[in-house]
Amino acid sequence: MSIYAVNKLCREALRDAAFRAALKRDPQAAIAPLSLTEEERAALLNGDVAWLYERGAHPFLLAYLTRWELFGLTVSLYSERIRTAREPAHAE
Amino acid sequence: MAEIVAAFGVPHTPNFPALVAKQGPDCRTAQLFAKVANCLHDASPDVLVIYTDDHFNTFFLDNFPTFAIGIADQISGPNDQTAMPSYRVAGAASLASHVRARAVADGFDLSLVQEFDLDHSIMVPLHFLTPDMQIPIVPLFINGLAPPLPSSQRCYALGRAVGDAIDDWPADKRVAVIGSGSFSLEIGGPKIPPGERAGTPDPQWAKRVQDHLEHGRVGDLVEEATAARLARAGNIGGELLNWIAMLGVVGDRKPTFIAPEVEHGHAYAAWRLD
Repeated sequence: MSIYAVNKLCREALRDAAFRAALKRDPQAAIAPLSLTEEERAALLNGDVAWLYERGAHPFLLAYLTRWELFGLTVSLYSERIRTAREPAHAE
Repeated sequence: MAEIVAAFGVPHTPNFPALVAKQGPDCRTAQLFAKVANCLHDASPDVLVIYTDDHFNTFFLDNFPTFAIGIADQISGPNDQTAMPSYRVAGAASLASHVRARAVADGFDLSLVQEFDLDHSIMVPLHFLTPDMQIPIVPLFINGLAPPLPSSQRCYALGRAVGDAIDDWPADKRVAVIGSGSFSLEIGGPKIPPGERAGTPDPQWAKRVQDHLEHGRVGDLVEEATAARLARAGNIGGELLNWIAMLGVVGDRKPTFIAPEVEHGHAYAAWRLD
């Protein structure tokens, strides 16, 4: 359930200006200490929000990333990618 | 004994305070909130009981209650960087304690939170309805965002139990109940429009909800608001549960005022109950 760490990263990006700046400056280094699988790490660094969504990352939290274009996620790129996502397992 | 004098439903879109600051008091959003605010002032409540869904700000996914009640003397917000003034508002701790005890006795196991602040989902409505923050509040939190959500039947029953608790609160106070949120809204999920970060995927559902509210068809609304139906209305569609809990003190009575904004997936409404 390390997708929890992805959700928490998004929340910390909103609340912690220093972490946000680190994510902007060197995303690979900023997420290095976090408890993520290699797949999650790669998905974040590639801005693959559809993959993260399908594994349970919460879209309300993921969308924070566009506020500062973290992981290269402009609003238009985020929208283009998330619109291809399938519903995660918990959805009806 | 306390008296339930009114109920209200409003959206809490976080950009509304900045929008109204820019567009002025004649814009539609300002006018609609002003209508609800006028109804609220006419009812002159001493306490506001507010149902809302925290957006991972008061709580986070490490500890996320399905139902919770806030018991505190002073509450601050917003805590989520919403572009609006910061406020402090009194908490109606004695009513909140009474509601908690009665609700738990009735089988609604409310989580307790005593040291907390609030996000835009309560502070945006208060900013427009009671900007001098003179009326104490009881915040009631319903999980409307992180599936699995509580059922509409459960939320309506909670609203009735809270109404019963208010009715036998031994205080000579006038109480109003508020439901905060949208009927159809998607933020950051697959149903957003191209090039946007949010949208209204299901205006037809918003229209149907508004029709049920207008005609006092609370039974139909509760029956139709299944988990699947709410999910189709968007990943924020669960906010309707805040309205459904509020309707626990309304029942099948028709609103004294209702204004839909179907294209935005929400509505503004007021009920006089005294």
